[in-house]
Amino acid sequence: MRGLLLIILFIWAGSSFSQDTLNQKSFSSNILSFKNPSSSISFSGYYRFLGFVRNQQETFPNNSGKTVVIRSGDGYREPMFLLRLNGKTRDNITFGADLMLNSLYKGPSPDFTQKLTLNLGLNLSTSINTKHGTFNFKTGGVSWYRQSRLTVWGNRSFNRVSIFERRPQTPLNKIPINRYSKYYNSGLIDQGVRYGSRAFQGLFFQGLKLPYNFSIKGVIGKSTFNRSVFEKSDNFTSSFKLKNTLNPSLKIAYNHLSSWANIDSLSDDKRTYFINSIELDKKWDKIQVQMELGLGNYSDPSRNLGHGEAILLNIKTAKSTKIPLNIQFYRISPQFVNVTGNFLNTSVLEVFPNIDGVGTTVRTPYQSPMVGLGFPVNNRQGISINADFNLGQLKLNGGVGVFAEIDTSYASLSYIHNVNSQTLSRIYLFAQNWGPYNALNSTYRGIFENVNISDVTANGLANFKKFFNTAEFQAKYSNKIFGKNYYIFSLTRLNTCRKELNLLPKLGSQTLITQLSEEIDVSIELSKKAVLVLSYGIEKILGNASTDIGDNPAEATATNTFFENLGLENLYRYTNSRNQKNTFFGLGLDYKIGDNAMLFFRYNKYRYFDPNFIDNHLKGWETMLELKINF
Amino acid sequence: MKRNLIHITVFFTVFISSIHLHAQIKESIWFDGLSRSYFARDAINKSITDDTISALNTSNGYNLLDLNTHVNPIKNIEVFAQLRIRNSFGSFFGSGTEINVRQLSAKGIINNKIRFSVGDLFLKQSRFTLYNYDEELSGYENDMLKAYRDIIHYENFYNENRWRLQGIQTDFSYKFDRYIRSLGFDFFVTRPLGSSQINETTYSSDLLLSGGSIIAEINKKIMFSGNYINLFEVPSSGTKNISVRNPVYDMSILHQFNKGNYYIEQKIQTGFSKRYWLHSELENGLVDSISNDAQGMYFELDNKLINKDSTLSLMIGYRYVDPNFRSAGAQTRRLDYAAGNSNTIYPIYTNMSLIRQPSLFDLVSDDQLYNQDLSSVLMVYNPIYSNILPYGEATPNRNGIYLKAKINDKNKLFLSKINAGLFKEVIGQGTSEKREFGLLKGALKINFHRWLNWEKELSFSASSESEITRRGGEEISSLNLFSHQLNTSVNTELVKKFFIQASFKQFYATGSEFLTERDNYGNITYFTPTQIDQIDHMLSFGMLYKFRENVYANLNYNWWGVKFADLPHLDYKYNRLILILSVKL
Repeated sequence: MRGLLLIILFIWAGSSFSQDTLNQKSFSSNILSFKNPSSSISFSGYYRFLGFVRNQQETFPNNSGKTVVIRSGDGYREPMFLLRLNGKTRDNITFGADLMLNSLYKGPSPDFTQKLTLNLGLNLSTSINTKHGTFNFKTGGVSWYRQSRLTVWGNRSFNRVSIFERRPQTPLNKIPINRYSKYYNSGLIDQGVRYGSRAFQGLFFQGLKLPYNFSIKGVIGKSTFNRSVFEKSDNFTSSFKLKNTLNPSLKIAYNHLSSWANIDSLSDDKRTYFINSIELDKKWDKIQVQMELGLGNYSDPSRNLGHGEAILLNIKTAKSTKIPLNIQFYRISPQFVNVTGNFLNTSVLEVFPNIDGVGTTVRTPYQSPMVGLGFPVNNRQGISINADFNLGQLKLNGGVGVFAEIDTSYASLSYIHNVNSQTLSRIYLFAQNWGPYNALNSTYRGIFENVNISDVTANGLANFKKFFNTAEFQAKYSNKIFGKNYYIFSLTRLNTCRKELNLLPKLGSQTLITQLSEEIDVSIELSKKAVLVLSYGIEKILGNASTDIGDNPAEATATNTFFENLGLENLYRYTNSRNQKNTFFGLGLDYKIGDNAMLFFRYNKYRYFDPNFIDNHLKGWETMLELKINF
Repeated sequence: MKRNLIHITVFFTVFISSIHLHAQIKESIWFDGLSRSYFARDAINKSITDDTISALNTSNGYNLLDLNTHVNPIKNIEVFAQLRIRNSFGSFFGSGTEINVRQLSAKGIINNKIRFSVGDLFLKQSRFTLYNYDEELSGYENDMLKAYRDIIHYENFYNENRWRLQGIQTDFSYKFDRYIRSLGFDFFVTRPLGSSQINETTYSSDLLLSGGSIIAEINKKIMFSGNYINLFEVPSSGTKNISVRNPVYDMSILHQFNKGNYYIEQKIQTGFSKRYWLHSELENGLVDSISNDAQGMYFELDNKLINKDSTLSLMIGYRYVDPNFRSAGAQTRRLDYAAGNSNTIYPIYTNMSLIRQPSLFDLVSDDQLYNQDLSSVLMVYNPIYSNILPYGEATPNRNGIYLKAKINDKNKLFLSKINAGLFKEVIGQGTSEKREFGLLKGALKINFHRWLNWEKELSFSASSESEITRRGGEEISSLNLFSHQLNTSVNTELVKKFFIQASFKQFYATGSEFLTERDNYGNITYFTPTQIDQIDHMLSFGMLYKFRENVYANLNYNWWGVKFADLPHLDYKYNRLILILSVKL
């Protein structure tokens, strides 16, 4: 107490009688700080609230009994409050982090408090200008990296989708109707909206304006697939591209990718694959040819697949032509393995990380997937033709493709649902082999289903090569009603798989799996601030006798009850195999509250039903209210 | 959960307010900090190490951003928050992410007269009261290993030999126009360790550290200073009735003057300490008592001669530190050899799963081995790496002379340093015989580029550091320990700011010593004889791009290991590839 009084006395005395200490160097036991704002920092981001309600009226039999979900967010890891920090030092080094803050809105209990975290990660980057070129370096991640389609490239396909559903990343437009007018106006072939990159961490480098028109870029680090059971085990991917622009219309490039992973910490056993490829991009007045030719090799301790080839050839005419065409040919051998390229790996399952909670988030369909146009797959070759055609306000585009396996593969098939895909994936996020028949697999905002094939060889593979046909057709129409714009989008997709080659999709009992879907979106401008959106989708999936047989003890069911009721026997058949019908009806409203602030309401009814697989029945509705504010 | 709430609160305080304020009163908020990318891959050198049960290689890394937010709401007041954002290499989409409040403080000046600080403080007094001495083997380190050392110091808050403490501090001064030129005062109260629950019914006490200083500048030549510090526990804040007390009193007189081209400084410093444990609030009305009482003093005479053109600096002195001198603020070590504190890299080795003791490489590279907490008792040290002054100049039971010199060429063609000392124990430990110590350290840097008139740097550095410890007498108690550290490095600037570097570091120790074991009150309980004969090595080769001081990218490869002369099966060798990008914002 006496000491305390003495201290108070001293401080009082100091306050009353001491001299200015600011400008003189007096003793201090503490460190003195000086203002040195060497970095400029700015912030941007958004707030996004998503109120979500789902009511399941029909559930799978193993449902816990909980049928109604009320929550903030739709279950995916998405930021509610995203704060991007961007800084730059006086050394021209930029740094950034994207802070993510979520709240469950489940009451004030501290148990529901969410941690402050990062959405993607931290990045440090710099640029060094020399007389020999500009060199950019970046470390950290996650950063989005793209190189070539065979090495590193995000999922890329033709932009044929229903745009009723929104994603957190979907940008806000100046006025709500612009989202739909842009989709109507921006052509459909290779428009880049979904052209993605791959998430990487590590060291990135880039050399631009190098002598003799060379440029180089590369990364050494980890993709989302480089994750091991033992966290500190070696598991890396490195990749680089050396490009030369011979002239503005001719570019050539060499790409290399190498991926290696220790599969045992105590030995040198590794799983490795590498790819070397040459890219050519040549433009004439009306035609552009893009080609990538690659050689890959895969090995692990149990098998050495040896070398395999891959070729991607893309010939497209200019958009100014009356009917723009895009012809794509590809052949990717089963030995050509990669999980970061723009194709699906189906020949080596082990390259996907097999870690709880991790592998599921990145594992794509790998059992002979039936995919849309623009999705190459390894162990497959084929060709597709796409075209655009305008008839006044009506814009048509479509394509057909035929593809064949190079070698026999798994005695199974998989198909990605076109209708209700997001809705079903939300029921059980990132789960593998779920549902009453263990056939469903959830990915990020999508779902695919596996089908077993009974015609197998002694070693369990399919007894035949699979042949795939795909047809896609989209019609877009726009006009005005009562002075307001409206847009109608219709999308039809047909995928089939058979045992023999057909140039065009062929239906019938010889088709292993038939997937036919139709989606119609209507957007009506109510005012400058409001848009009404409607959506309807129907999907039919039919299997034949070589695929899974249902467990319905009753008789076989008609593949089309409508035609059955009409008595049009040529247009339907009876089957005990898959006979799925997926329907979707959606209603929504986009409303602009103010600059950079919009409200989105979505309501949809869904049904997933198969009369031959009696437990495959889901029905219900979802409602979402999204408020998004950018800053 | 509470921590999360704190993080979120700070987050909103820092960021939301900053967004708002940034636009309105931009000058009142400013940022700095540090960002770092780190990646290391370690591997066993299979040709040497008899180890088939450890992972052949491991890799890890991280990116971090320490964002220092300075808020100046009013003139002369600053609120400071350091927020650490860190994500591990290989973790995607939020996993492996940490966001922590690393520092939070406020400081300012009241009425333009009294400086104050609250929160995280970095305090230093005299070298015998509160001083964070450099860790061993760091005296003459070459540039190549600076990146490692930077991380160790930064992560452990080692800043200008200060201890990071949390509390309140104030200082102010008076100026006079006669008799005395100025009088400065400084006070602080901090809490190095707060009370915490040990079990259901037992709580530890709060450990506080308070201190004060008076600095009187009598005239231009004479300065007097007095320091007081006390580390003590508050028994009523816990459930234990025994609490440590460690007051230290320090005073010094400094005489300084100029003579021709030389600046001369003479300093006498002395003081004493007490350390005991107070037994209070005893049952049955017993009066308070003390135990394990230790009292000791020290004395130092220091003479400094400095050439004003910076070509020569010479320091000669005599120091006596009593065996019972105890000062927690000055004797706490950075390196913590306490049991259970293991190496981050390959803590266990060989097929016998032996615990690998920290080696030269670990001391250079492993920031987890270092300590930030003040200790009320003398901490364990390893005589191999530091046997003469393990607690810095405040090492107790030392009596001797020392010399420190710096000789530089005017044109900086070469720079050299010498550090020598001869010390002896004041009393023998476990015997009447006293240890005798000899210390000789020297470093030389040659700037060839200056000789050759090159713009780009080409330099060579070398240092040699030897310690010898001897004790005669009976065979059972005699000892003889010799250690030597060799450092060499070459820096070659190939293109502007881009360096190729190579360095070699070797540590050799041979002889015998006794390891001292102490109880919870610092009393010696046992001496364990130990035979030492080992060579540690670390060879490095790499490249450095230096944007400027504290902003650099460093990529290098290290070959390191230890060879034991008598026990060849325990030898080990490892390799490391490391990338560090460090940016001071």
